Amino acid sequence: MSTPKNRPETKTTGTTTRRGAMKTLAAGLGAASLPMWARYSHAQTAEPIKIGFQVHRTGIGAAYGRWYGRTTEAAAKLINDGGGINGRMVEIVAEDDGTDPKRGAEVVEKFANQHGCDIAFGTLFSHVVIGSAPRAGELKMPYFVVSEGHHVASGMLNRYTLQPGITDVKSQVQAMAPFVAQNLGKKVTMVFPDFAFGHDHRDFFTQAIEAQGGEVLAHIAIPPSETSFTKYFPKIPRETEVLYHVMVGPAVLTFVKELGEFFGPARPEMFGFIDSLEAVAIDSPGLEYLEGTYFWEGNPRHAQADQSEHDKFFRAAVGVNDRGASISDPSDVSTYAHMFGCWETLHVIKAGMEASGYAGTQDRAALIEAVEAMTDMPESRAHPQGAKLFNGKTHQVFGHQYISKVTGGKLLRVHTTSIEDTLYPDETDYTTQPF
Amino acid sequence: MRAIALGGILVVLMARALWAHASEQGFVLLLPTDAYIAAGGATVAVTVVLLALLPERLAVALFRPVTMMRGRGPELRHVTSVLAAVGLGVLVWRGLSGSRDPLVNPMPLFVWVVWWIVMVSVQGLIGNHWRWSNPWTGPAALLGRLTGMRAPWRYPRKLGVWPGVALFLAFAGFLLADPAPADPARLAVIVGLYWHVTLAGLLVFGPVWMVRAEPLTVLMRAYARMGLLGRARGRIAIGLSGWQVVRGPKIGLGMAVFILLMLGSGSFDGLNETFWWMGLLGINPLEFPGRSAVILPNVVGLLVANSTLIAGFLGCLWLGERIAGGTEPLVAVFGRYAPTILPIALAYHIAHYLTSFLVDGQYVLRALNDPLGRGADLLGLADYHVTTGFLNTPGTVKVIWLAQGGTVVAGHVIAILLAHAVAMQHVRNTRRALLGQAPLALFMVLYTVFGLWLLASPRGV
Repeated sequence: MSTPKNRPETKTTGTTTRRGAMKTLAAGLGAASLPMWARYSHAQTAEPIKIGFQVHRTGIGAAYGRWYGRTTEAAAKLINDGGGINGRMVEIVAEDDGTDPKRGAEVVEKFANQHGCDIAFGTLFSHVVIGSAPRAGELKMPYFVVSEGHHVASGMLNRYTLQPGITDVKSQVQAMAPFVAQNLGKKVTMVFPDFAFGHDHRDFFTQAIEAQGGEVLAHIAIPPSETSFTKYFPKIPRETEVLYHVMVGPAVLTFVKELGEFFGPARPEMFGFIDSLEAVAIDSPGLEYLEGTYFWEGNPRHAQADQSEHDKFFRAAVGVNDRGASISDPSDVSTYAHMFGCWETLHVIKAGMEASGYAGTQDRAALIEAVEAMTDMPESRAHPQGAKLFNGKTHQVFGHQYISKVTGGKLLRVHTTSIEDTLYPDETDYTTQPF
Repeated sequence: MRAIALGGILVVLMARALWAHASEQGFVLLLPTDAYIAAGGATVAVTVVLLALLPERLAVALFRPVTMMRGRGPELRHVTSVLAAVGLGVLVWRGLSGSRDPLVNPMPLFVWVVWWIVMVSVQGLIGNHWRWSNPWTGPAALLGRLTGMRAPWRYPRKLGVWPGVALFLAFAGFLLADPAPADPARLAVIVGLYWHVTLAGLLVFGPVWMVRAEPLTVLMRAYARMGLLGRARGRIAIGLSGWQVVRGPKIGLGMAVFILLMLGSGSFDGLNETFWWMGLLGINPLEFPGRSAVILPNVVGLLVANSTLIAGFLGCLWLGERIAGGTEPLVAVFGRYAPTILPIALAYHIAHYLTSFLVDGQYVLRALNDPLGRGADLLGLADYHVTTGFLNTPGTVKVIWLAQGGTVVAGHVIAILLAHAVAMQHVRNTRRALLGQAPLALFMVLYTVFGLWLLASPRGV
């Protein structure tokens, strides 16, 4: 594959700057003769900041892509209604990556070479992030991902890739262990799909529960293409106090149904990740068995009694009701546990561009340095999921995690982790890499 | 470089956030689809038995059309075709210059939703609109009138419809194996080039190019024979879907193969999404690596699926002919019976794309609301959000699945009736003819079960 090198970029940057200077001059001349009109005109005609939105429009991630799209549109509108970034409007340039790593890299290239984007943003699925990030690094294109993957903080990517709007799986999983050990039980059996996603949970949680004085009695790995689970349930040890489940894919509902048939009312405590049922109504027929069980939620899907004004604002802006479903169709449940990440990431980009005085692609390194310099992000309209702590060295944000209990068909939050619960020692320092 | 190499290794270890979606498929898996599949297969089998018991001319009578008014009036088809070409030109322009989002840009929405799902289905359900809606015949006629030129070359007769067969396979390959068939600019370039090539073929070889070498027209004309509306004795006529097949002209080997490719490619379109197929490829369906990782398997699968279908179909015909004591060459029998599977191909096309239509149709409406992407609100849908809630709700999932299943079963019942009617037209000894139909009937019962299984099985894409 031909790999456009970075050298021509300097030239492009120069041209942009010259053109920008001419525009400023023209606007200045206009301002001299017609001040009021010119000021308005300048704000309208300045080149927009182009944000390349790498979106899973088709392929396995399409359902997530739709809600990432809605959230991104809402956040961009909010930013533009508030005057844009550094006086320039934000333009979202959406390109479909087909949830395909190879196309992901091509999309990043298009952002850089065809669409003249300032940055790239929005990728969710890990394999697409991992497939695209090296290209972003080569093109020196700031690449803000919203994927939850541990791949950013693990050090496998590069200085141009950042995850400032959503926490990573390692911190999420380890932060669950104290609650599980103290409230549900110390003898845990884990049921997970037998591939990387499940293995992450297996490894991170096993370690974390042991640190809490608990133990995992059995790891039950289910082949990913399995659609019936009854034969695996007898492997669950009788003394199990907590069943930790992270099944995903179309067979999740069958899993819940068969679990109910196997255990009946005499079940152990159950703890799962809402990923299993993201975009599925928790009160759907067939899911009754989940009543009284616990879920990790990245952001509580159902509005809580002490709902913050920011969560209220976020829901209204995206068009989501108190049950996390579309206002225009209450049967259309959103990917509420994850999509706030797009909103928060765009606000971090805005803050970074403002702090660095970002004016064009020549300021990309300054933008990254500005984001790396960030630490505390207080709960606010820009961070409706809650306060966050950014680690500039690992390019990863850390934040509160929520545990909800299914109560009367509603996800009621019963625990909020501290940010400290989610921290782990740095595994890399991207700031030592040159730009 | 190190980072890339490292990434290659770690992608296996650290991939995260690869949730296949639980929604629609999850609720389908909770439905008693085994019972539905059995019922569907039984319905088709009962049809076979009933045909053996009921009066022998009944099937033929069922397909007798009712003639209506004389089809006349001004010949507007060249005008509408020119308009279609202009519309296509606008779409190509939008594809190149409009939004990069395939669910916002009208180019992919038109090609894959309006044309491939809706216009193809309408062609098969109602009748031949392609005569008016194709973007070539009008411009060719206009050019011919302006320049006074006639087609300079004769289309080589011996090529028959084989160029159309080859190009149809290329089209199916694009649909199934291309990494990004919905990318607006890519699609616009391909459609734009193809329009020019076809117009050139039409100008050089005359209208025969359209019915022999242009696969979309060959497909549309084949499906037109399934339409309710057609022509009989110079009048517009209406009859049970398939009546035009019974009355239609004999077809050659190339066309027979083309019709089987229509069914085989459609079936593979469903098959390549199933857990079963991904298991064959050793791909984790919950972690589908994207279309660019399965280009070769999909091309090979497309060819193998079609070859298997043709071989199986021919085997059944050969066996049936032996049982019936016929003496006709297999090619002639093939040409006679191949059109009887058109209703199965059409039914599967409709069933397979029903959910896509219900979701992507909403994007089409949004695109119509603002066709030039300039913030227009022509239909008052500016604040409309596309929903997939009906795919996350057990009640509607069941209705949708039963509609799909019912369509597949209805297609097979009509196919059985058609095969019977065709057989009755060509034999004297009814008893032996009935026996001779047994292998084809069994084939159709099994294909019903297969088609329903495709709709019920878990999918990874």
